Amino acid sequence: MKCEAVQERMMEWMDGRVAPDLANELKAHVDVCPGCQAELAATRRFANLLDRPPIAAPSSALRQRVFASIAQEMTGASAPAPRTDRPRPVRTWRTFFPLLQGLGACALLAGGYWLGARRSNPVAASAAPSPSAPATQQQVAEIRQQLGQLVGYTLDQQQHSSTDQRLQAVLRTAAQPNADQNVIDGLITALAMDPCVNVRLSAVQALYAHASREDVRTAISVSLPREPSPLVQLAMIDFLTAAQDRAAVPVLTKLSSTADDPSVKDAAGRALAQLEPSHF
Amino acid sequence: MLEATPATDHALMLAVRNGRLEAMGELFERHHGALFGFLFKLLGERTAAEDVAQIVFERMLKYRHTYREEGHFAAWMYHMARRCAADQARRSARAPAATDPAQLDATDNFQPAAAELAAARDDRVLLQAALDKLEPADREVLLLSRLQELSFAEVAAIMECSAGAARVRAHRAMQALRAHFFQLQQKVAS
Repeated sequence: MKCEAVQERMMEWMDGRVAPDLANELKAHVDVCPGCQAELAATRRFANLLDRPPIAAPSSALRQRVFASIAQEMTGASAPAPRTDRPRPVRTWRTFFPLLQGLGACALLAGGYWLGARRSNPVAASAAPSPSAPATQQQVAEIRQQLGQLVGYTLDQQQHSSTDQRLQAVLRTAAQPNADQNVIDGLITALAMDPCVNVRLSAVQALYAHASREDVRTAISVSLPREPSPLVQLAMIDFLTAAQDRAAVPVLTKLSSTADDPSVKDAAGRALAQLEPSHF
Repeated sequence: MLEATPATDHALMLAVRNGRLEAMGELFERHHGALFGFLFKLLGERTAAEDVAQIVFERMLKYRHTYREEGHFAAWMYHMARRCAADQARRSARAPAATDPAQLDATDNFQPAAAELAAARDDRVLLQAALDKLEPADREVLLLSRLQELSFAEVAAIMECSAGAARVRAHRAMQALRAHFFQLQQKVAS
């Protein structure tokens, strides 16, 4: 082999990515060629330099943004099919903005928990976003600025209120059957994003007063598959059954076969039997 | 007790394609570090590398239906990354340079000045400066060829050339990189 042909293969050879026969041929040449020995040493040095991590590391904001995109895509991909038995009200993006925010936050929380549980790598764990991280606070500030009117239950409240305060806030809304859109948005947001199971359960209970609203039922259907707590999932299934929401059938059908928790699987099956008796 | 075998990247991407979008989270955790490293070295700038990494994951979600049964996830991801990085480079070449006051104190963006190089005396700083001096296609093929997940045939497919051409180009890029590196080193020393 000529020196140039040998040197063109050096990176692959060094990385063990050439066939044994070719490796032997390359070694035989390099062993007797001082020029290629020097080239191999230089190639090895620069390959090692290139393989080192870059000067900068990705920020935790990248994880937040990507998980938010995944959550948003999930919302779009698994939204219940449009119902045909009655006209659908016109919805604006603002109707579901709290839910999208919530799903993004849920994905982040779930991602952080899942990382902690699955990986013992302390570097990876420390990179998980925390609610008090500057980047998160900055995002909260940006969201507030964009909306200009986040009232009721907000991301800010979640960060700065105690669990008891948030629970009390949700319970107070349960006593307002004529609650306005902001209060309902707040309950949907609490259901989708609050880290406390009791708060989410209370939000489901409070939303019973608004079960006649299609946007409320849809919000619960969309949140149901992503809810991490079986307890809250059971409450959501009860809600959809009580509301006789036949639009939830696709979500319940999927849950009845894929849910990890057997009680959720059974409850979804029972709900289907009530909502779609002809299928049983 | 036997532990469950972790799903392969390919299996996870097929799951994403089939509607289990949450599997993209695991792929993100496995690959975002290496992808960011590739993009940072390619673009020489942290903010741009993060933006493009985000776009790559979003495009993989959006175009998940195009992932093939016989596909290789890493090759597919870096193929998208190369395209996204090229788009980013075109955009930044067209866009007027803007200064964000909030970024003035940040050390995120890598712009090595001579004094900084002298102070840093860090091979990685010199290496990045040397990489920035390469032709874009040379920088791409060299960085792709260092990804152990990719064969030269896959690097060639990403670069849309033959394996032989990719091999020769990577070798010449490595020689050019060394030349730039030593020039910069001499500059710093003097």
